[in-house]
Amino acid sequence: MIRDWRRSLQFRLALRVAALYIAATVVVIAILMSRAFDTARSLSDRELIGRATELAKYLTVDENGRRRVDLPPKLSGIYDNPNSADIFAIRDAEGRIIATSQSRFGELVAEWPPATDNPAYFRFPLGAGPDHYEGLSIRVSSPAGPLSMSVGRAEGDAAAVYSLLRKFIHDIIWAVSFLVLASLVIGVFAVRRGLKPIRDVSEMAAAIGPRATSVRLPDKNLPSEITPLVAAVNRALDRLEDGFAVQRQFTANAAHGLRTPLAIITAALDGMEGNGELSKLKADVARMNRLIEQLLRVARLDGIVLDVAGIMDLNEVAGRVVEAMAPWALARERMIAFNGTETPVVIKGNGHAVEDAIRNLVENAVVHSPVRTEVVVTANPDGSVHVVDQGPGIPGSDRKRIFERFWRGKGKGSNGAGLGLAIVAEIMRLHGGTVDVDSRSEGGAIFTLRFKLTSAPQ
Amino acid sequence: MRILLIEDEARIVELVSRALAREGFVVDAFSTCADGHEALSDIHYDVAILDLGLPDGDGLALLAAIRSGGNKLPILVLTAKDTVEDRVHGLDTGADDYLVKPFAMSELIARAKALLRRPGSALGAVLSAGNVVFDTIGREVRVASAAVTLPRRELAILEHLMRRLGRVMPKAVLEEKLYGIDDELESNAIPVHVHHLRRKLLDAGATVEIHTVRGIGYLLAETKS
Repeated sequence: MIRDWRRSLQFRLALRVAALYIAATVVVIAILMSRAFDTARSLSDRELIGRATELAKYLTVDENGRRRVDLPPKLSGIYDNPNSADIFAIRDAEGRIIATSQSRFGELVAEWPPATDNPAYFRFPLGAGPDHYEGLSIRVSSPAGPLSMSVGRAEGDAAAVYSLLRKFIHDIIWAVSFLVLASLVIGVFAVRRGLKPIRDVSEMAAAIGPRATSVRLPDKNLPSEITPLVAAVNRALDRLEDGFAVQRQFTANAAHGLRTPLAIITAALDGMEGNGELSKLKADVARMNRLIEQLLRVARLDGIVLDVAGIMDLNEVAGRVVEAMAPWALARERMIAFNGTETPVVIKGNGHAVEDAIRNLVENAVVHSPVRTEVVVTANPDGSVHVVDQGPGIPGSDRKRIFERFWRGKGKGSNGAGLGLAIVAEIMRLHGGTVDVDSRSEGGAIFTLRFKLTSAPQ
Repeated sequence: MRILLIEDEARIVELVSRALAREGFVVDAFSTCADGHEALSDIHYDVAILDLGLPDGDGLALLAAIRSGGNKLPILVLTAKDTVEDRVHGLDTGADDYLVKPFAMSELIARAKALLRRPGSALGAVLSAGNVVFDTIGREVRVASAAVTLPRRELAILEHLMRRLGRVMPKAVLEEKLYGIDDELESNAIPVHVHHLRRKLLDAGATVEIHTVRGIGYLLAETKS
């Protein structure tokens, strides 16, 4: 059986889980990043606003109404350096510059509209270099009335934070990817392990056929999702087995039931004296008897478990068949002979069934032999039995089909039911042996049954 | 000669009775075990033909009852059951022969006669086949009423073949019956005797024929007319 791997449950599950994991990873990382950067920005905003508020505290108004900023040494040390990374500019409500840490920044800020309560962000180049200042303007109340504060710092300072963040996220991505991969692998293995009992059960189910209807699928170790299916299949098998049993029983009963009326007809015809029609009728009834006989044998072979474990002497059984069949063959003006072995040919098998098989071959051979020719049955020490006739032989094209049920040759109609050789094949199959047919160079067919010799005769 | 027929199928009873009567037998037919058993205690029969599926019980039980009473009556069992196991069971229970339905009437008569030809049975003393009559007590053979003289061993072979008329007499069994353990037995002794016997029967115009089943034995059959 070729499985389409794309339709496999494992593959589909793995595919979906992988897609889910990848999507989840992307979303988680995106959220993580956006939250981290948000937090970083809001932290930096808060710090800048804090600075603005602090700076505003140092604004004083002297008695002349002049406003000035007196920074404590700690702050002035930061801001007074002309190359400082931190800058500020303070304007009054009308936009006039009150104080600035760098005049260049003051000139720039002077052109901006006054700040509001909501921070307004800015970013501008720092001199000729590639670096930028960034910051915000916000309105802050002070003892000297509302002020428009603009604070900023060199971008590089904030960049360190972001680079830290990026490194953190980079690490997180690896960790998350590893986790995703690991859980995917674990998931696939779990599914494989979980499905193993199903594969086992499938193999058992594959063995179920008309001859092995008593097999039931075990639900041990199966995933609980599957047990209802298995239980349902088992119930279906129960019903099928019942059906088979009924059918076999029917064949047996029908054949059996037909026997008594047939016996009456046979007996009645036997008692009649008459013309040619009567002998034809007798032949018809004989044929029907035979068909029913064979049907019963087939039904029995189908219906029972044949015990083939018995120890038997193939030579003796073959001889017994010849002995029993001789009167019948002689009545048809055919001779029959037996070539036995000196010592017993010990095989494992069911004596009655083997007898049946050989008898069917002999019947077949006698029916297809010309008058006054001999059918020879030979038992061989190697566990084979030959039945040789001098009939027309079996054409090569028919050699396979003659063992099928109800198959009958196209040539001149023998009156068989087409079951005899099928029964032989079935018996041989049950014995683990073979039956084949060949033509003899001098004409006629040679049927060979081959049994396995048993090494330990009792 | 009187035959007891225990069979419940009326048509079979009718046909079998008619056929047996034509052969010169007197037939008493009963359809139940009980009736059959009762008849057995009153009348001496030469052969019983017993069907196994009877309305008031299994014929095998009746068979066992007859045998446990020490009755040696030859019994031919008729049945629709035909598995070999059934057959073996029937023979173990004491049936002398076994015939599966549907059977040919000629077969039934031949089997019944074979039972009668057993030593000690009704036909056991004087055997006949075709136009050959063998008086086993006087050791005398007549073919078409004319006496034929046969040596002792040929007589013995003919007797065994006539008792098994229509069936194969295995050569090994013949050897056993004809020769003591101490007798020097040549491998072709029996074939030589059979050859002579065959020639003498032919010369006498017998309507029986000894067939050889190579590798098994011999079979005496009435010549087809």
